[in-house]
Amino acid sequence: MIKLRRLERRYPLGKEKFFYVLRDINLDIEEGEFVSVMGPSGAGKSTLLHILGMHDSGWAGEYFLAETAVHHLKPKERATLRNEQIGFVFQQYHLLDDLTVYENLDIPLSYRRYSKGERAALVADMLDRFQIVGKKDLYPSQLSGGQQQLVGVARAIIAEPKLLLADEPTGNLHSSQGEEIMELFRKLNDEGMTIVQVTHSEKNASYGKRIIQLRDGWLVRENR
Amino acid sequence: MLKDIRFASRQLVKQPAFTSIAVVTIALAIGATTAVLSLVNGLMVRPLSYREPQQLVLLLQHFKSQNLERIPVSPPEFKDYEARAHSFEKLGAFRYTNFNLAGEDRPERISGATVTADVLPLLGVSPIRGRFFQPEECSLGRDDVVIISARLWQRRFNSDPQIIGTKLLLNGKNFTVVGVMPASFDFPLQLFNLGNGGQFGGRADIWKPLAFTEEEMKKRGSRSYAMIGRLAPGTSLAQAQTEIESINAQMRREHPDNYMQDNSFGGDVLSLQDLAVSGMRPALLILLGAVFLVLLIACANLTTMLLARAAAREREIAIRVALGAGRLRLLKQVFTESVLLSLIGGVAGVLLALWGVESLKAVGAQTVPRLREVNIDLVVLGVTLAICVGTGIIFGLVPGLASSRPELTEALKEGGRSSTVGTRRNRLRNGLVIAEVALALVLLSGAGLLIKSFARLQNVNPGFNPRNALTFEVSLPKIQYPDDASVVRFNNEAQRRVAALPGVQAAGFSTILPLAGTNSDWSFAIEGRPSDNNSPSPDEEKRQVSPDYFRAIETPLIKGRFFSDADSADAPLVISVNQTFAKKFWPKGDALGKRITFDDPKKNPKWITIVGIVGDIRHFGLDIDPKPEMYVPFSQSAYSTTICVVRSNQDARTLLAAIRREIQAIDSAVPLANVRSFETVIAESVAPRRLSVVLLGVFAGVAVLLASVGIYGVMSFLVVQRTHEIGVRMALGAQRSDVLKLVLFRSLKLISVGTIIGLIVALMSTHTLRALLYSVSAFDAMTFVLVTILLGAVALAASYLPAIRATKADPMVVLGHNT
Ligand SMILES: Nc1ncnc2c1ncn2[C@@H]1O[C@H](COP(=O)(O)OP(=O)(O)O)[C@@H](O)[C@H]1O
Ligand SMILES: [Mg+2]
Repeated sequence: MIKLRRLERRYPLGKEKFFYVLRDINLDIEEGEFVSVMGPSGAGKSTLLHILGMHDSGWAGEYFLAETAVHHLKPKERATLRNEQIGFVFQQYHLLDDLTVYENLDIPLSYRRYSKGERAALVADMLDRFQIVGKKDLYPSQLSGGQQQLVGVARAIIAEPKLLLADEPTGNLHSSQGEEIMELFRKLNDEGMTIVQVTHSEKNASYGKRIIQLRDGWLVRENR
Repeated sequence: MLKDIRFASRQLVKQPAFTSIAVVTIALAIGATTAVLSLVNGLMVRPLSYREPQQLVLLLQHFKSQNLERIPVSPPEFKDYEARAHSFEKLGAFRYTNFNLAGEDRPERISGATVTADVLPLLGVSPIRGRFFQPEECSLGRDDVVIISARLWQRRFNSDPQIIGTKLLLNGKNFTVVGVMPASFDFPLQLFNLGNGGQFGGRADIWKPLAFTEEEMKKRGSRSYAMIGRLAPGTSLAQAQTEIESINAQMRREHPDNYMQDNSFGGDVLSLQDLAVSGMRPALLILLGAVFLVLLIACANLTTMLLARAAAREREIAIRVALGAGRLRLLKQVFTESVLLSLIGGVAGVLLALWGVESLKAVGAQTVPRLREVNIDLVVLGVTLAICVGTGIIFGLVPGLASSRPELTEALKEGGRSSTVGTRRNRLRNGLVIAEVALALVLLSGAGLLIKSFARLQNVNPGFNPRNALTFEVSLPKIQYPDDASVVRFNNEAQRRVAALPGVQAAGFSTILPLAGTNSDWSFAIEGRPSDNNSPSPDEEKRQVSPDYFRAIETPLIKGRFFSDADSADAPLVISVNQTFAKKFWPKGDALGKRITFDDPKKNPKWITIVGIVGDIRHFGLDIDPKPEMYVPFSQSAYSTTICVVRSNQDARTLLAAIRREIQAIDSAVPLANVRSFETVIAESVAPRRLSVVLLGVFAGVAVLLASVGIYGVMSFLVVQRTHEIGVRMALGAQRSDVLKLVLFRSLKLISVGTIIGLIVALMSTHTLRALLYSVSAFDAMTFVLVTILLGAVALAASYLPAIRATKADPMVVLGHNT
């Protein structure tokens, strides 16, 4: 599913000097895997995830996603590929305040080729599956954090991605709420979705099958 | 206070982009306002520069059944009024007169007036040298004296202190200068479309005493003198009117042959001031409305700009409040800043207006009465100052209130996004954009209608061809040209010589030129249609023309023949009429060969045969349908002043030198006057209209500019405000085009609402323009569609830049800081 070779991300630090956030990352993730990325704060976990999610394009090296050489794609082609393959869950949920739950779920669909009917069906399906039908007309500010992240996850997978990326999805949640999300991830993974999550918690990591450790931009150890 | 001002100035200097946009916005709006205020002040409010001008009146007559209005008076009538009326302190009669002033190299024609002794004194302006005319100088033989203007005194006589007593050779006769009128004195010729001066006659520079001839005193029906009066103290306009009506009734009884015995004949006592003002009033009121709209748009713009700034400073202000700053202090600070801004903009605006008024005068002073008196005086400056302070307070009000009442907890909370206050202010911002679009559209539709009217007018066929035609006037003095034969000889010779010049296709002359503001109507009788005292004799426009006149102006012959040299003084009397005339009096189309007379049909009249029917000419204005006109051969009815039209195959102005040589070769003392291309004559006839079209067009342009700046500002603010949302959407799959659409759609929504409101308001208000429209409905669909598209396109373009900026948003900046 994912293949990274000699991937590098650096920021300029004055004249001719650079601050390396990621160095020489080589990584293979198979389809259907559930991988947890761990490491101390500032290690480059989020950076890696945003590169995988193609929010960031200022990196060097090779990145293959589902056999496609991302490093050769133009921005527009990348956006298309991303829209086909990837869903993203944020630590701060990033729901849009002015839109209802229903409308938030609909956003990804509105940017992909779905007919009106399909969109309505998919949103209804998702509301049903996450048992939030009763909340569809509420605004994010009217939901608890756990409920908001539930909507965040639903929004990430509504366009049926093959790869789900989650950056500390439970970071802002109580442990019980976090567990609910993790159970959800396990179920999605069981259904065949590839998942890469960033987490600080060993317990959350244990839901996955593999852990990647990052330290100062280096990929230090892999536990299989 | 001083501290506030210093703080405010520092704020303004710190943000040069904000400050300059704000100042330019205010300058445009205040500039437009000041310019229009000075027009209103100069043309409508400011009294005429005579002593107690509200006491000055004009007396005009009307003959309702003949559709004649604002008719001057005849000498016998004037004498009757003068002897019998008690409502007036003084009464006077005058007439436009031009003088050929002999000079060293070349004679010059100078406009002036012949006046009765009381005319100049009753205006209440004294000569700076010499004296007024004495009553005895208003009699034949004693009237060889003149008063000249200071302008002429300076220009021709180098302000010679010995001018009084100097003799001038005018129209071939010597006149003694007895007085000089001050430079500021303007004789009211332009105001009245009376006598031969016409609306576009020049300023008077020479005055001569009026002595009625015995001949004139016999012709009660020959009305060519303007009558002016000063109301006696304590007498009202209505009282004077009543008295004039009773004198009219006496005259009707005493001279039954001269007046219809019904209520058709009457007199109107009109205030000079009202008369001077009435022509431009509708246009001025519309312009006043227009600048008011521009001012509103500017206020809306500045409100949104200051609001955006208040939002950016919300935290700073919240901290100040938390530290104990009172609401009043904060308000004062905002007002200081906004009023300071509007005063700086106001100064720039006044400079803009000074320049604007000067340019208006440069193009319009010849043609718009009193325009040259317009300036930015203390009254205008005072009103402008008040408007500046007022607008400053208005556009500072909302931002002031907004920042003096910040949502403390929200603003101080880290990263807190205040939702309710945010939406409320967004709604206000949206409302302002909608209002701006609506106001701009109202102005734009008005301007559109006027421009379309003007374009229509330019395309109206005047009935002759104004291209490549030169016109000039020649006036022959009575001394050297005492009889008709000598006048005819001069004119025929002049025409022969000019026509023979290389490059000249045709040359002809007439006593009255279309669209030049002069006219002359005569009553007549039709053979076989006797009139009695109860049915008025018809009265229509009459001109004397040379045989080639119609060929020179290229007015087509419809039926019959043009005049020829054979139609001389001793040949049978003939006449041509235009189509409207023929249709009016012979609806069955058999006008040709019929006979009319200008004499009393009962007293062995000289009958005149209609030999030709010519095309209609728009004589009174491009926007006025052709009226009946008749033309008689110049040889059979000569007149001392003629206007020559020279048709060329090139720009006829190049022929001027040659033409002047030929005229001077006949008589070196006869000057060419009022030399203009025929196109200029037409252009000057629509000058007051052009003035309002240009002004309204400029204001509409300013309005659109300001509205687009406003839209740009609000959309930019919106994009900043929605950075988070845009980042999230991009992370969820939105492409650049989606973001572009998001922003543009939002502005399109505002623009559409504004457009709809604007259209409704415009449709409700454009009928006020009706007085200025020509052959365009106040609801002209095409205009409304076009201005809507124009405004929509400009408004969308203004939101395009912020939209593009939004697509450049980097989602990482929004989403990346979650470590
Ligand atoms: N735009 C940036 N410019 C410079 N340094 C950055 C930028 N974004 C992130 N970094 C740095 O990259 C490092 C890795 O950040 P991040 O990937 O967010 O770490 P984490 O593993 O905690 O998610 C941090 O030291 C951070 O300061
Ligand atoms: Mg992180």
